[in-house]
Amino acid sequence: MFLQQLLNGLTTGSVYALIALGYTMIYGILGLINFAQGEIYMCGAFVAVLLLATGKVNFYLAFAAGMVAAALLGVALERVAFRPLRGAHPLVPLISAIGASIFLQSLALLLFGPNDRPFPIQFTFSTITVAGLPLSTLQGAILAAALGLMGLLMVFVRYTRYGKAIVACALDRDTARLMGINVDRMVALTFFIGSALSGAAGVMMAIYYNATYPRMGLLPGLKAFSAAILGGVGNIPGAILGGLLLGVAESLGAAYVSSGYKDAIAFAILIGVLLLRPQGILKGRGD
Amino acid sequence: MAAYLLHLAILAGIYIILAVSLNLIIGYAGQVSLGHAAFYGIGAYASALAALHWHFPFPLAALGAMLVTGGCGLALGLPTLRLKEDYLAIVTLGFGVIVDLVFLNLEVTGGPDGLVGIPSPRLLGLSFRPQPLYLLLVILAVFLVLGFTYLLVRSYHGRALRAIRDHETTAQVMGINTPAYKIVIFSLAAALAGLAGSLYAHYITFINPESFGLHTSILILCMVVLGGMGSIIGSVLGAIALAVLPEMLRQFQAYQDLIYGALLVALLIWRPEGLLGRGKLSLKFLTRG
Amino acid sequence: MLTLKSVQAGYGRLPVLKGISLHVRPGEVVTLIGGNGAGKTTTLQAICGLLPPRKGLIEFAGQELNRLSPERIVALGLALVPEGRRVFRTLSVSANLELGAFHRQDQKQARRDLGELQERFPILKERSRQPAGTLSGGEQQILAIGRALMARPRLLMLDEPSMGLAPRMVTQVYEILKELKEAGTTILLVEQNARAALKVADRGYVLETGRIILDGTAAELKEDPEVQRAYLGKGYREVWE
Ligand SMILES: Nc1ncnc2c1ncn2[C@@H]1O[C@H](COP(=O)(O)OP(=O)(O)OP(=O)(O)O)[C@@H](O)[C@H]1O
Ligand SMILES: [Mg+2]
Repeated sequence: MFLQQLLNGLTTGSVYALIALGYTMIYGILGLINFAQGEIYMCGAFVAVLLLATGKVNFYLAFAAGMVAAALLGVALERVAFRPLRGAHPLVPLISAIGASIFLQSLALLLFGPNDRPFPIQFTFSTITVAGLPLSTLQGAILAAALGLMGLLMVFVRYTRYGKAIVACALDRDTARLMGINVDRMVALTFFIGSALSGAAGVMMAIYYNATYPRMGLLPGLKAFSAAILGGVGNIPGAILGGLLLGVAESLGAAYVSSGYKDAIAFAILIGVLLLRPQGILKGRGD
Repeated sequence: MAAYLLHLAILAGIYIILAVSLNLIIGYAGQVSLGHAAFYGIGAYASALAALHWHFPFPLAALGAMLVTGGCGLALGLPTLRLKEDYLAIVTLGFGVIVDLVFLNLEVTGGPDGLVGIPSPRLLGLSFRPQPLYLLLVILAVFLVLGFTYLLVRSYHGRALRAIRDHETTAQVMGINTPAYKIVIFSLAAALAGLAGSLYAHYITFINPESFGLHTSILILCMVVLGGMGSIIGSVLGAIALAVLPEMLRQFQAYQDLIYGALLVALLIWRPEGLLGRGKLSLKFLTRG
Repeated sequence: MLTLKSVQAGYGRLPVLKGISLHVRPGEVVTLIGGNGAGKTTTLQAICGLLPPRKGLIEFAGQELNRLSPERIVALGLALVPEGRRVFRTLSVSANLELGAFHRQDQKQARRDLGELQERFPILKERSRQPAGTLSGGEQQILAIGRALMARPRLLMLDEPSMGLAPRMVTQVYEILKELKEAGTTILLVEQNARAALKVADRGYVLETGRIILDGTAAELKEDPEVQRAYLGKGYREVWE
């Protein structure tokens, strides 16, 4: 029972971590929180689900399309709701992102209706026992995919030219420009990558909960934000750790404390962290 | 028809209190709260429960509601107001979610069904059940709130608050205790939202969690941005406009949130000083360069 | 190679540069000296496009720079070693160097340059994996110069490379500048440390509250009574022997 809950927690936690990475990367480079991250996640899920529902697209293609659509939405969002407001009081882009989030959510509501959509294809998942632990292959697949994507991101940031350029922009924008780095392009790239990860998270959750609906991004978005803070905003390994911890805490809390307040656990942790250690578990750029 | 107009006027008055109080947070503490509806809801529930269970007369119930919400604001503001503005936005949003869950799960709040039979206010043997009288009561409250806000922003403290909003570090260097100011303003605003909740509960006489969700928080935010952040008169006009407009555009109801979302983004890009206010306190001008 | 004609620039409403004219010819080392707040950094920022000038003309290799973005300007062959070094603190030393070559088309050649640079400055090789923020001030200055050289600039600009360094490190940094000069690098060197700067420079300008008040060859400036009084006078430590 305990181990099962732990596994459930790690699974949802790995998805929170993927979304939290988007928050953290964007915060790192712009110092802003992209409030519409949850809607980008929702967009990824919808695109994959709608494509699969046509019956003409295979699963991997639909998954990739969900990621790309989310990534493009993220880039568009940056152009429309963030870039024109650069240099303004930080409240201004924050509220603009809130506006964008509402807009996207209600657009999805108008286009697709309020009801849950099941995932269009059935996977035959079994339960295997790994080291005495019952692990559903679905959970295993989600965990593996999420961790794989995170690994790819870490490699990108550490070892590629563009990854380092993104870090340079986050550290010191003017000096980065003196290296010939086009900051606007790096910001767009950051939105692209962060949003693609959120899109992937959306597709995974659409499969896991077998439900895709316009407001599906609200709670995971909030929880991922909490995870990003937990790990120290702007800190990539921190976001991953924060996501996993939060997923586990939520799962154990729901099992052993109260399931009615499951969704409140993340925020209770968030407020607790802000109270005790506002810089996060690993130190972040947040202040 | 007259009854309907009175109804709209009463709601508009309640929204004015909500919008003005949120504007105190946005325009004077430089923070965004997305949990304003939660304070509104706590005020409504607290006041209703006080009247239903302990038979508090309306003024006491309203006062109690303000104390409770002000206390919640304090509790929420203490850990978060030291931090960057984004944190408060998300924490208040999370707070809204938690409060919603509490209303839904607790027994005393009646779960999803909420509370019914909340008594109408009675003062000196006079029942305020009739709409015209209730409107008078709301107008009185609106004037009290506006007068209080006016005095506050004109005072020394109001100037300190503006200094904080525009140049927090400078304000701090000048010896203004910025966290304390922010916390006080935040809990004051929460208390005013509690008053609005109390007015709403005793007018409608039945409440459930639906009226106090994120949707309402966002509606209030739109009122503030529409009227111009930092402009009190703008918030009044913004509240009236968004309380009345949806009623006039009933056939577009499905598009309401879509329009609000687009409105927020568009306004901030093209007219950050707001449509209705005079915009002399635009946040954007004051912090560029 | 670089020409400024009556350039005016400032922050917000505050004018800082009140019409500056200067030029740097290919192969020359030119220094711009002046006290605190004279506008030296502002001049370099205007050249780099970080602070677009209000009036006047900035020209580099026949191209007008006034309205170009820093990234375009850098791509034309200008590199700046900024005031206070500004290394990317959490990135490794080698990542800092690589970023110096970010805009270059020939990334293969850039990698070879990195190797050469590390041979030339062994400290950058020894510490190549270490976060740049953990280097000492002098080492960071060498890193910042190396980073700028990675761009293979046609004109290298340095903003107070001796600032905050121990005399021994100042000597080392100026040793590097002298080598660069001998290799034919064109340099615009901004300094408060006039004594050190005038030893390596061919020509110089003296900037005071946003205006050039003097210019001439390094030898002329060294002999100028005004310069001697204000910039070489007593109280200025001899750090260049
Ligand atoms: N970002 C800024 N905003 C406003 N004013 C500035 C800014 N940077 C510099 N200044 C002002 O411009 C003037 C010139 O500054 P600048 O940095 O160019 O001087 P400097 O010659 O480089 O001095 P130092 O030797 O101390 O580095 C100063 O009066 C300074 O206060
Ligand atoms: Mg300087």
